[in-house]
Amino acid sequence: MGSTITEKIVSRALGRKVVAGEVVTALPVDKLYFNEVIGPPAILNFQKDFADVFEQSGKKMKVFDPSRVAFMPDHTVPSCSIMVSSGIKLMGDFAKQQGLMMYKEGDGIEHTIASEDGFVLPGEIAVATDSHTCTQGALGALAFGIGTTEGENLLATGELYSFTVPESVRFNVKGALQRGVYPKDLVLHVLGRMGEGGCSKRVAEYTGPTIDSMAMDGRFTICNLSVEMSARTAIINPDETTMEYVTAAVQGRSGSLSPDEKAAIARSDPDAVYSQTVDIDASAVEPTVSLPHSPANAKPVSQVSDPINMVFLGSCANARRSDLEVAAKILKGRKVHRDVNLIVIPASRKVYNWAMANGILNTIAESGANIESSNCGPCFGKHMGILAPGDRCLSTSNRNYKGRMGSPEAFIYLGSPAVAAATALEGRIADPRPYLGE
Amino acid sequence: MQVRGKVARKFGDDINTDYIIPAYLLQESWDKQFFADHAFEYYDPTFKSACRASKESVVVAANNFGCGSSREQAVYAIKYNNVVAVVAQSFPDIFYRNCLNNGLLPIQVADTSSIQEGDELLLDLQIRNLRNLSRDIEYPIEASDAAIEQMKRGGFLGYVRERLRQKLMEAPS
Ligand code: SF4
Repeated sequence: MGSTITEKIVSRALGRKVVAGEVVTALPVDKLYFNEVIGPPAILNFQKDFADVFEQSGKKMKVFDPSRVAFMPDHTVPSCSIMVSSGIKLMGDFAKQQGLMMYKEGDGIEHTIASEDGFVLPGEIAVATDSHTCTQGALGALAFGIGTTEGENLLATGELYSFTVPESVRFNVKGALQRGVYPKDLVLHVLGRMGEGGCSKRVAEYTGPTIDSMAMDGRFTICNLSVEMSARTAIINPDETTMEYVTAAVQGRSGSLSPDEKAAIARSDPDAVYSQTVDIDASAVEPTVSLPHSPANAKPVSQVSDPINMVFLGSCANARRSDLEVAAKILKGRKVHRDVNLIVIPASRKVYNWAMANGILNTIAESGANIESSNCGPCFGKHMGILAPGDRCLSTSNRNYKGRMGSPEAFIYLGSPAVAAATALEGRIADPRPYLGE
Repeated sequence: MQVRGKVARKFGDDINTDYIIPAYLLQESWDKQFFADHAFEYYDPTFKSACRASKESVVVAANNFGCGSSREQAVYAIKYNNVVAVVAQSFPDIFYRNCLNNGLLPIQVADTSSIQEGDELLLDLQIRNLRNLSRDIEYPIEASDAAIEQMKRGGFLGYVRERLRQKLMEAPS
């Protein structure tokens, strides 16, 4: 009987073969990262709960392995309140004292930079204090979110306790995406089919020719949104596309993958066992939006034309190079509708600077957009575009829960960057295809 | 181990952690009680008073309770409003684990439809049984042995401290 990539990654970490369903007493993790929402309380709890253990052992208080931990302030930066600033300062001081990596405000959204910088690699187990850690699954890493207490425990021991090896659902995706249809449309369509609880406790493993031919940006989007059907995480088997991306990512860091890092790379066996297989015909997917107030409330754009007064192009779901590129293509030489506030936030400093050098930010700015430095922005609902009661927003992010981006009486729709750009021009949910030419 | 409580609130499917505690508050305090004071602020403004009316309250829901964001503050928001247990038909993993880590009992049973607000419940972890005292109905609790163990212990902290102690002893000084 073969193994899934998930089973293989856990097996390597433990040095013995495991199968789905097994409960592992202590699972060592390879990488751990924190944002400034959960980092500060996790540090404080770590210091409070373990100081005496270090003292009694005659050791200095030290995290399990500083080279495996990183801090990424990204949710509301540049800081928007005294408490946020205090938290970032606390993280910075702790990082310095412990000798671990602390990113700067504006370097980007944690899930974008963790992969872009080669911090998380294929075959690794990566955890972070955020549910969208599943984004790293696009690399072929087993990655998922944890809470504050697990973050504090991991700082101390580098282990996750009582971990159930998850079963996997295989999403077999065939057929080419039509012109004007993007991985975001595909995943919203999948959420619509599965529902908010449809993949609970199980890993969403995406396979098939559509995934094989998909570029990394799209794979990140698909893995990112899979937690909206309550998947334990999402994962895509690493291939040449993955390795090209990873090779470029690690160049800035260590230069190349070590033999150990190479050996960790895993793929599912052809006879691996899945709890369910779901066949998806990508060629039948239309540009799709999710209506208020659930990411699983997906409808083809052709059936929706609700008025919109804010458009957000950003977040860890969709604000990478190709996302900004397609938006710029649609916005070029046109003006954002007079009733619409268009907010554009590149997902990382690298994406930002690339888009600036390529004239993409110029095009977007000339259309009348507000461009902000890299961070979560309105997706987190705390700054840079808070919705008023009655506001209607089309966002390229991943959650349209009531109150997610401000007032609980606002309405949030989710869509692709192309839908976002077309919607910004028309002031209502719009199909991007007429703007894309042949 | 037995726990008794009164059902203070009953929800349907897919209650996400943004509903339990809105994001804009998360960074504004490192004090757990702060989050309890803002529990369900937008989604259910009377949640707090309903839970605080009894010393031991229970929250009941249908499927997928606690989905979405990993914020552990959602657990503090519930627990520190006198809530001893959340009874639901399913929980996503992150929320479930956050509950276990904080001594809020995540109780999974097959069907919560017969439980109503105001019902008195009796939980027995030993025999894995939930009893609705008001209606004389019993529901078997679905949980792994490991989860039951953590529920009894109120979390993992003691265990993690022990692991750390061992690791520090083994490490070269
Ligand atoms: S962009 Fe939104 S979903 Fe992504 S990490 Fe930030 S707040 Fe979370």
